[in-house]
Amino acid sequence: MRLVLSSLFTLTLIAGMATVAGPVAAQGNPIKIGAILPLTGSGASYGVWMKGGAEMAAEEINARGGIAGRKLEVIYEDHAADASKAVNAMQRLVEVEKVPFSMTSYSSPTLAIQPIAAQHKVVIMNGGGQSDSLAGKDYLYNNIPVVSNEVGVIAEWLAKDKKLVNAVMIVANDEAGRNSADTFREKFGAAGGKVLAEERVALDATDFRAQLAKLKARGGDLLYISSYGRNVAIIADQARELGITIPMAGTSWVLVPETFKSKGAEGMLVTKLPFDPNSSFAKKFKDKYKTNAGFFAVQYYSATMIFAKAAEEAMKKNGGVLTGEGVKNAIESIRSFDTLSGKLVFQPNHGAVMDIEAGTMKGGKVVVEKVIKAAP
Amino acid sequence: MDLFLQLAATGLVVGSLYVLCAIGWGLIYGTTLHFHVAHGAVFTLAAYYAYAAQKLLGLPLAIAVLVAICAAAISGMLIDLLIYQPLERRGAIRTTLFIASLGLLTLIENVLAIIFTPDPLRMDVGSLGDSVQLGPVFLTRLHLVSVATALLGLLALMAFLKYSRWGQAIRAVSSSPEMARTVGIDLRRVHLLTYAVGSAITAPAGILIAMDVGVEPYRGTTFVLLASVAVIMGGIGSIPGAALGALFLALLENLGVWKIPSEWQSTIAFGVFLIFIVVRPRGFFGRKIQSAEI
Repeated sequence: MRLVLSSLFTLTLIAGMATVAGPVAAQGNPIKIGAILPLTGSGASYGVWMKGGAEMAAEEINARGGIAGRKLEVIYEDHAADASKAVNAMQRLVEVEKVPFSMTSYSSPTLAIQPIAAQHKVVIMNGGGQSDSLAGKDYLYNNIPVVSNEVGVIAEWLAKDKKLVNAVMIVANDEAGRNSADTFREKFGAAGGKVLAEERVALDATDFRAQLAKLKARGGDLLYISSYGRNVAIIADQARELGITIPMAGTSWVLVPETFKSKGAEGMLVTKLPFDPNSSFAKKFKDKYKTNAGFFAVQYYSATMIFAKAAEEAMKKNGGVLTGEGVKNAIESIRSFDTLSGKLVFQPNHGAVMDIEAGTMKGGKVVVEKVIKAAP
Repeated sequence: MDLFLQLAATGLVVGSLYVLCAIGWGLIYGTTLHFHVAHGAVFTLAAYYAYAAQKLLGLPLAIAVLVAICAAAISGMLIDLLIYQPLERRGAIRTTLFIASLGLLTLIENVLAIIFTPDPLRMDVGSLGDSVQLGPVFLTRLHLVSVATALLGLLALMAFLKYSRWGQAIRAVSSSPEMARTVGIDLRRVHLLTYAVGSAITAPAGILIAMDVGVEPYRGTTFVLLASVAVIMGGIGSIPGAALGALFLALLENLGVWKIPSEWQSTIAFGVFLIFIVVRPRGFFGRKIQSAEI
């Protein structure tokens, strides 16, 4: 009984503190939002872009006076591609930092934190993960198209334009890798191609020779890489080292700095989402971070800007009070946002559509050969 | 058939790294009876030493590798001198030593991850990364160097143990510490020497894999686990046994992929190990494992 009483007391105390903290936070304190990103591990290069993009956006927002006069502060958390780390980070953001909004990335980590977001009414915006299962989830918005769009485009381009119809696949054994591989198998089949064999590999592996040797022995005229991060460059290099001469292909996931530097990736057939490396954003990024910007830098710049606009609207409607629910309603009512990659319209399934470009990797650059316009 | 040959060649390359790790660990375990899992940390440290010597000090690759091997040998000796010897002097049992070793492994790995980040760091290997074709088999020059290093390392270690005075002292302690003590061998000094030799022979494995696929903080754990399995498989106290066990595991892992999906790689290896050790507990060549030894 004593225990029950004392825990009741503690609860009341905590509740009391929370109500005290509420109004204080509304009076000109900084607005804190989260960003759960791959800052270490195989996807750390994405993390550099994502964090840089968000940082640049926050600096610009604060330079022009913040959001409704309040400073924006982004709290960065690392999920290292691990769903359980993402859950810990999300819980910290929700319970300790009390954020109304967080950026997120990668499919498995995002799926893992979505129930927490929905339960606590915190909006999460994913600008990186592309698994189909990310669509249509409460409180989760994706400012990136889900994978079936892009994989559909590359499957058709490879089979119909490039006349490559017998594929072998190397697949990262996680939600994103498997989902993308299944979609590729389906769309490639529909376009007249056939997947002869598939080998799954761990995302944190560094030696793919046994799997590649097996795929090589299977024949085929195309090696499709359904993986991402630094893996891709190692796979490409080891494939060439094993004497695999057939073309390799992958979606925008494969486009990380390691891949651009890899000798094995020369001639790789890729699709990418629109990003102009000569834009003023890219130049500013390069000056600030001493590394070339990529598509995902723009994505997280955009996500931060979308939040700023939605938050301003939400505070206007709710008498200066900022809640996750308010942000969600604002996103739903605004729907169409101007971003660096053009107009972004959130679809009813909380996803975005974009143009997709297809091309070949040459001398560390993608030479675009075809642009597939987004269906309106 | 081409696939079989390629997988066998890849297995041989991976196996040569396992061999170097296993004979180093086996030498230390056979002589000191310390279940030295922190050997995995020495393996990893060797790679970071080589990386630091090449990238931070700007030394040429060959010199950087030599510096790293010496530094790894010293690290192994320091672990014995500063951790195991004080524990033994205070009468700690072997389990305590094992737990201390496990703690040290975790500590070193995490410190390395904090200093260098958990992300793999690439070393410059120049033309060693070039591809070489041997019939239907494709390897890199670095892979050939790995196989040669393992072979030379194994022969050198066996010759050292057989012909040199210090090597004979190690063998004496390994076969009977009490007897060695009565003929005037200083056990502590022999232990230190064993740590130096065992660490130096394993260091090239850590460095070679780092040159091939990058320097990473957590790889040592897998390697020391495989090394201990190889040593038990080969027979405790037998250096050729440890080498054979290591090679067997690597070939099994790689050839297993031939007919079975590749995500089963380590499941196959450890499954076969369990069956093997139940059927033949003394391994290929070794003495029977005494319960007191583990």
